[in-house]
This record gives sequence, C-alpha cells and structure tokens, in this order.
Amino acid sequence: MKQHKIVLLLLVFLFALGAQAQRKGSTQFDIQLNAGLPVGSLKNAVSDHSLRGIKASVLYAVDDQLAIGLGTGFQDFYQKYPRQLYKLSDGSDMSAVRSFSIQVIPILAEAKWNFSPDAAVRPYAALGLGGNLINYNDYVGEFSLDQKTKIGFAARPDLGVYIPFRKGGESGMTVGASFNFMPFTAGDVTNLNHVGIHAGFSLPLRK
Amino acid sequence: MCMKRMIAWIPLTVAALVTVSSCTKDPIKNLSDEESRLYITNRDSSANFASYKTYSIADSVAVIENNSFSGDQATAADQQALAAVRAALESRGYVRVGRNQSPDLGVNVSRLYNTTTNVVDLNNYWNDYGGYYDPYYWGYGGYGYGYPSAYGLVQSTEAMLSVDILDLKNAPVSRTIRVIWNGLIRGSGVFGSDAMTSGIQALFAQSPYLKTVQ
Repeated sequence: MKQHKIVLLLLVFLFALGAQAQRKGSTQFDIQLNAGLPVGSLKNAVSDHSLRGIKASVLYAVDDQLAIGLGTGFQDFYQKYPRQLYKLSDGSDMSAVRSFSIQVIPILAEAKWNFSPDAAVRPYAALGLGGNLINYNDYVGEFSLDQKTKIGFAARPDLGVYIPFRKGGESGMTVGASFNFMPFTAGDVTNLNHVGIHAGFSLPLRK
Repeated sequence: MCMKRMIAWIPLTVAALVTVSSCTKDPIKNLSDEESRLYITNRDSSANFASYKTYSIADSVAVIENNSFSGDQATAADQQALAAVRAALESRGYVRVGRNQSPDLGVNVSRLYNTTTNVVDLNNYWNDYGGYYDPYYWGYGGYGYGYPSAYGLVQSTEAMLSVDILDLKNAPVSRTIRVIWNGLIRGSGVFGSDAMTSGIQALFAQSPYLKTVQ
C-alpha cells in the first residue's frame, strides 16, 4: 500500500509539471496503473488477476489525430495453489504446494489514433507491436520446477478515453482497456495473454 | 516544454517503474515452512505389499552426508520420527519383530545432508558405505541394495529425511535387498520434530497401497 502511495505522489507531481496544449509536433507521456486479467492458457498457471502492473508510453503527435512512439509496461502474475498430489513421470507421487510467478515487460512500437482531438472526452485506439521480456517461474514447494527467461513477441491493441483536466489542456486522465497478446510456451501454458484495465495520467513531454 | 522538465521525467519514470516492479510477489517468501516441503514417495510396482506381514526397524537414524554414511543418531526428534514410522506401519497391519526374527521388511530411516548441488544418487549411497545399515545388519552380508530406478529426483543443497522399506523376505532368492518403497521429505525445517512426524504421516497418507492383512 505504501508503494502505491509513492506511485500516486509521483504521478501527481508529474501532472504538476505540465499543462500545455498538444498538437502536431508535440510529445506526450502516458503512465498508468494496470490491472492484468489472465485469459487463455495463462489461466492454466495463474487465474488470479494482478493489480501489480504499470503501462507507459511516449508518443509523438504526427498530426492532431495520429501519434506514434514507444510503449512499455510491467505486469506481475502470481498464484499459489494448495497442497496436492502430483504424479511424476517416473511413477513417483509428489505432494507439493505449487506456485507460479510470471513477469512480463513489453517494449513496443506504438501508434495511437485520437478520434476527437478537441472534445472534452477524447476516445482513442492504439496498437503496439514489438518484443516482450518474460520471466517465468514454476515452483513446487521451495524448489524450482521450471524457469524460463525469454524474449517473445507482443502485440497490444488498446481502446480508451482521454479526459483533459481543463479545456484545451494536454494534461489529463486516461482510462482504457488493452488486450495483451503474448505467445509463450512452458508446461501447460501456450501464451501469456491477458486483458489490461488501466487508468493514469497523460502529460505533455516536449513541444 | 523546457529541457529541465524533460530531465525531471527520467528519474521519476524510472522510480515509478522500479516501485511498481518491487511489488512483485516473491514466491519463496510467500511460503510457510510446511508449504516449502515436498513429500515424495515411490514404490516398486512389482511388489505386493500385502504379502509382507512383519517388519523390523532400527532404534536410531542413519546420518548420511554427501552420499557417505557418517554415523547413526537417536536425538529426541529422531526417536519421534522412528515412532511415527512404527505407528504408521502398525496402522497398516504390519507387526514389528526383532531383526533376528526373520522380518519380511526392514526399515531404514535416514537424515541426508548434501552440501553440493548434485543430484542425489540414492542408488549409490546404500552401496558405498559400510556402516550401521550395511547389508550385514539385515543378515545378508555381501548382498547389494537394489533400488528402483529414477530416484535422483531433483537437485539438492539441503537436508532431507528418507524412509526406505526393504524386502528382506525375498532377499535370499533375489540375492539383493530390494527397496520396495521410499519416502523422501525435502524443504525447510524437515528435521524439526513436528515436521518429521507430520511429514512421515504425509508420506504414508499418500501411499494407501502400503498395507497388509494379518
């Protein structure tokens, strides 16, 4: 909880740094807290949602509607299962508490389309394509059963709205949802796909 | 936007990312000692456990360090472990007899310490030392221990408790002392007296086939 307060204070401070209109040629920085909801085979390892995530991007406005740049993020998935009996390939029976710990860090080339650049509430659609740093850990008790660190592919379509704090202002709040497409194979997991629900701030970086 | 503002963004962004990434849940720290433990059992699939009626067990525990026998001990915790094994076997119908009374089964309880990250080769350690549980102990001098395959389960840098049940009944015919069942406890605090007792109970609980009728 203390760490969340620190992040919030940082974001408030960042917001205080700028309040200028963004138009063609400006650069905008988005930073948002992200909740990850596993879908697909990721649920074979982790079915619990994760509030331990962040989403960020730096986008340059090509014109009033289109912005391009870089996107990144971080999401931590964790789940511990109650003790149960597993049959091993050699015929042994193993009773263990199994836990999964998975972190993803996408690094994406991103494009964002603002549908209504001058509206009070500005819907947008964005798409990021690029790489994904993956750290995957499967534990039985305190022992590592499987550990993988890989770079994979990631795609992140994103829909949301940007709400400026004042009319014409380029500092505001962004709320949206993304789908994180992340192929990856380990055990019963064939992807780390998850839906992201995000909320945070958008601020002008350079004009 | 001025350069000063841009420079301010960098450490703040890094700080925000580091702060959020530090929220990562550590899977090991989120385990209690009990949750950290593995209870692993294996059996000789050809063994008919109902065909054995009696067993014998030593009154001390073998201590094996880095695959070498280093002595036998009978601490209070060891005695609790032995008592837990006896109670479990008797609850499954086996009758305890002296080792000179031709027991069908022999039971070895061992504390294993490995200070290196090697796969534990249980095939070797029974054959390598000449100590308390030398085959002579069971009256079959010169015989080797026949271990079921694939017991080098996982790497280890710590301590384990092992319980082995040996087929003495058929040793004269097979000319080997077959280990027909093994239970292994690994994880944090395995040698605590409560942990040994509850661990041994867990090993037997997941081996319902290990029983006989008198």
